[in-house]
Amino acid sequence: MTGNKTFDPYETWKSFTNNWEKQANDTIHLWTNSREYVNFSQGASDLQMLFQEIFQKNKQAMAENLQLLTKKDLVNVAKLSIQTEEKLDAIEEQIWNVQDSIESREKEFRSLIEVSHETNKQIKQLKKDQQRIKKDLEKIGQIHFELLELKSELAEMNSLKEEVVSLKTLLAENNPNKDRELALLSK
Amino acid sequence: MATEAKNQNNLKAFNYEKEIERWTEFTNAIMGAELSAHHTPRKPIWKKNKATLWHYAPVEKKYDIPIFMIYSLFNTPSILDFAPGSSVIEGLVNNGYDVYLLDWGIAGYEDKDINMEDYIADYIQKGVKRTLRHSKAEEVSLIGYCLGGTFAAMYAAIAEEPIRNLIVATVPIDFSVSALPDKWEEALKGNGVNVDRLIEVFGVIPPSYVESMFRSVTSPIYNSPYVTLLARANDKRFVEKWKRMNKWNSGHVPLTGGAFRQLTIDLCKENKLVKGEFTIHGQKVDLGKIKANLLVVSSKNDTLIPEGQSLPLMDLVSSKDKTYLSVEAGHVSLAMTGKLNGILNNWLGEHSS
Repeated sequence: MTGNKTFDPYETWKSFTNNWEKQANDTIHLWTNSREYVNFSQGASDLQMLFQEIFQKNKQAMAENLQLLTKKDLVNVAKLSIQTEEKLDAIEEQIWNVQDSIESREKEFRSLIEVSHETNKQIKQLKKDQQRIKKDLEKIGQIHFELLELKSELAEMNSLKEEVVSLKTLLAENNPNKDRELALLSK
Repeated sequence: MATEAKNQNNLKAFNYEKEIERWTEFTNAIMGAELSAHHTPRKPIWKKNKATLWHYAPVEKKYDIPIFMIYSLFNTPSILDFAPGSSVIEGLVNNGYDVYLLDWGIAGYEDKDINMEDYIADYIQKGVKRTLRHSKAEEVSLIGYCLGGTFAAMYAAIAEEPIRNLIVATVPIDFSVSALPDKWEEALKGNGVNVDRLIEVFGVIPPSYVESMFRSVTSPIYNSPYVTLLARANDKRFVEKWKRMNKWNSGHVPLTGGAFRQLTIDLCKENKLVKGEFTIHGQKVDLGKIKANLLVVSSKNDTLIPEGQSLPLMDLVSSKDKTYLSVEAGHVSLAMTGKLNGILNNWLGEHSS
């Protein structure tokens, strides 16, 4: 009893229709797959195109005589709008190029600014170095001056020394008896 | 006695209320209000003529490489955002991709001269440029479905833009293989069909002709979907899905004469793409120049694009990383059932980091 399934007429119909449709389509493809059918189909299509063209021409002629807008007029207007849109697109793309070049310039400027910052730093450093060197030079000048003074003092000392020596010799020459007197006195 | 009891059981199973509901749902599905399409949130970022480039922002961005999607010229791309839970775009967005969809819109008579070359150079290439600019990405992944796949492959062959991945699904590349009955094919490839005359008279091929063209190849008699709807009209989820499918199925769009001419003469008749003779504004389309990672997806039960039309692309490209997948699905059900979604998430995830 559990295996019993309720009869569903729709499922049966569906199954029948699917099979029928498949067979019918296969049959149509089989029948139409012939040179005769292709020729007939082309002939029918040509005839339809002929009538379509005559109808279109008449419609165009009537619209022109009545001074009504025709499909061609609308196409011309539409094409103008499409052309405008294309030009706007082209302009937008050119603006992109300008934007890109501005951005690349900006980058260059930024790198230049960075370089100039670096240069400024180096200049400041150089200035500091220069001031330091200047101070050092001043110190060196001072030392040089002091050395010169020392030199002149030394020179003075040398001359003094020479004077002392000459005085000594002079004393020794002028007072030879004094030594004897001194020696006698000491006895 | 046993037969009588069985018949009585069957009569008891007949529920009048259920039948009234069935027929009401059936009538509403066919004649009632249409369901809203495009449920995944999106914003237009570019419009050109009738075409729109839509951006679907990711729920939570995981991948830097955006996806650029191209659909066929014959129908609306709503099949890629079919229904909540079974939408290719929704799946990609949920997985963290920026998705861009180029929607061709509905061509008017003024567009009759637009051909495939224009669609590729003026719409796809520019759309990709805008995608790269909008997403600020350095590369892009292309996804093309059906004829959109052919366009994607043609564009990838001439692209100056960096393309990381190329994914094509149910794509016609080699037109020496055909799903047409052989005498029709013979007529199309010979002089049996006067395409120029049709284009001259109509300018753009009307949607009813496009639908008839596909219907005649796949299924000239087309009653089974309605019978299936009636049989399952009490199933609300099925009815909703059916309505979406029916809306998409009957939503063919006009095809420009220029594109139809190139499709039938340059591709179907002369098979220029495979021969390397197809040109885009003077530039030769050499599929051998495609170096992007390639994924080709074919459907085993596709009555419109046989696998033989897609497979040759594998040998024509120079891509080092290429994958071919043959899936148990139909031409449309590949996208509709979410099978493509799973494939894309797996493959793209590995190729987008």
